[in-house]
Amino acid sequence: MNPAGIEVKNVSMSYQSESSEVLAVKEVSLSIGKGEFVSLLGPSGCGKTTLLRMMADLLTPTNGSIEIAGQSTRQARLSQKYGIVFQNPTLYDWRKVKDNITLPLELKKVPKAERERKALELLELVGLEKFKDKYPWQLSGGMQQRIAIARALAMEPEILLMDEPFSALDEFSRERLNEELLAIWKKTNSTVVFVTHSISESVFLSDRVFVLSPHPGRLSAVVDITLPRPRTKEMRNSPEFYKLITQIRDSFEGS
Amino acid sequence: MKRIKDRLLPSLAWLFSLLVIWQLVSWYLLEVKETTLAQSKVPYIHEVVHTLFTYGLTLLQEGWSTFINAGAGLLLGTAVGAILAILMSLSTWAEKTVFPYVILSQMIPVLGLAPIIYGIVHDENWSRVIIAAYITFFPVSLNMLKGIRSVSPGSLELMHSYAANRWSIYWKLLLPNGLPGLFNGLKIAAPLAVTAAILVEMMGARHGIGVIMLRNLYYGPSNTYMFWSTVVASALLGIANYLLVQLIERIVTPWQPAFRTKGGDN
Ligand SMILES: Nc1ncnc2c1ncn2[C@@H]1O[C@H](COP(=O)(O)OP(=O)(O)OP(=O)(O)O)[C@@H](O)[C@H]1O
Ligand SMILES: [Mg+2]
Repeated sequence: MNPAGIEVKNVSMSYQSESSEVLAVKEVSLSIGKGEFVSLLGPSGCGKTTLLRMMADLLTPTNGSIEIAGQSTRQARLSQKYGIVFQNPTLYDWRKVKDNITLPLELKKVPKAERERKALELLELVGLEKFKDKYPWQLSGGMQQRIAIARALAMEPEILLMDEPFSALDEFSRERLNEELLAIWKKTNSTVVFVTHSISESVFLSDRVFVLSPHPGRLSAVVDITLPRPRTKEMRNSPEFYKLITQIRDSFEGS
Repeated sequence: MKRIKDRLLPSLAWLFSLLVIWQLVSWYLLEVKETTLAQSKVPYIHEVVHTLFTYGLTLLQEGWSTFINAGAGLLLGTAVGAILAILMSLSTWAEKTVFPYVILSQMIPVLGLAPIIYGIVHDENWSRVIIAAYITFFPVSLNMLKGIRSVSPGSLELMHSYAANRWSIYWKLLLPNGLPGLFNGLKIAAPLAVTAAILVEMMGARHGIGVIMLRNLYYGPSNTYMFWSTVVASALLGIANYLLVQLIERIVTPWQPAFRTKGGDN
């Protein structure tokens, strides 16, 4: 049915603690095509991070299964199909900015000259080339997050999982990076799963938006974003854009 | 420059007041209360300093012997401690196996152990090195283990997401993450290594600060200033060792929060 993409089948996840059990994700099924750009949208605590971590094989579902191009998530992880951007930058304190970006390349035994070249290219992309020899703590939160994005892109992954990567950024950088992200996506043909709680961001970026609702986290709507590509700044003001935003907002109220 | 002055001034003021109080107490015991052996208890500082300079060369030579052996012991202890820490961090099974022996080792009194070690190796240098290592591996090991364990779950997940192997996880994440712990352990261990070396020297050796310390203790009150000089010299050795470790820490781990410059970028 969906041989090259991500197939989430009836997945549930509950967190167990001594006294209680939280059902974070309840019976979610969705299917993401290869090369598709989708968003997981929903309010805080609706299980977006949980779902993304299950796709990345950092968490095992209590029920149901997830397949990546016909493989298990574990196989996909071991064959390094993922690039992941966490909700926190998760940079290593002892590495300078450029060395944080080259970490995945080092692990893949990419030659040093090639690593350096790639790091510079990515630093330029996220607009931080001046900071290459700084340590992470010398950067602001938003800048750190941009480094984390550069690091995820370094491997040119087939699947890019992003957990609210731009939520720490100001509106200006955010919109600029939205456009950059789309350009990268187009160039690399990767599949992107993008977690956000911003409706307009999800509309601007995605082919489809999966709307999740909380307590317990479940899929409440799937919205096709019919805006043409390439997406431009001007589209943010188009009636169609607003129509889609309204449609998504309504789907929240309906749930 | 100004900042250094601001920081140094209070400590200097403290040191000065302490020295003044010491001198006053010394004078009081000797001249007013006329205590027996007053100078053995609280000697005049200027007399001690005078002796320190008069016998400076001897003290330096003997101190060097102590310092080298303590340093070698510290290195050996660090190596053993670090290896044990890595071993214990590998699995809970490994920790449960090794940890009790690490604790047990610290139950054996060094005073009893030193003659045994000497009996085995028959070499005063090696005995000093081994005892210094024996005392220092413990704080190094425990602090480094704690450092390795303090890794954030997120950093580990990042490694898992790259499907990194165990070797890479240690080399690129756990060991750098354990370095601050290692240095904390080393800073405790550095002065201990000197103490350990001196202890062995006092039990029989030909060279070292501990040897002259013991000799002057035997000779009694007439050598009291010399005895105190050796005490001061060994304290200086301990401090020197500590500062050396601190310097290395700054060079190796400039990224630690304690070394960060205040006031943001640039
Ligand atoms: N490790 C955990 N242990 C127990 N409960 C957890 C854990 N992680 C998440 N939860 C619970 O699962 C639910 C979903 O959490 P999740 O982090 O997936 O939400 P989210 O949609 O990513 O929220 P946010 O937008 O705030 O990041 C929440 O109710 C949360 O309390
Ligand atoms: Mg989240």
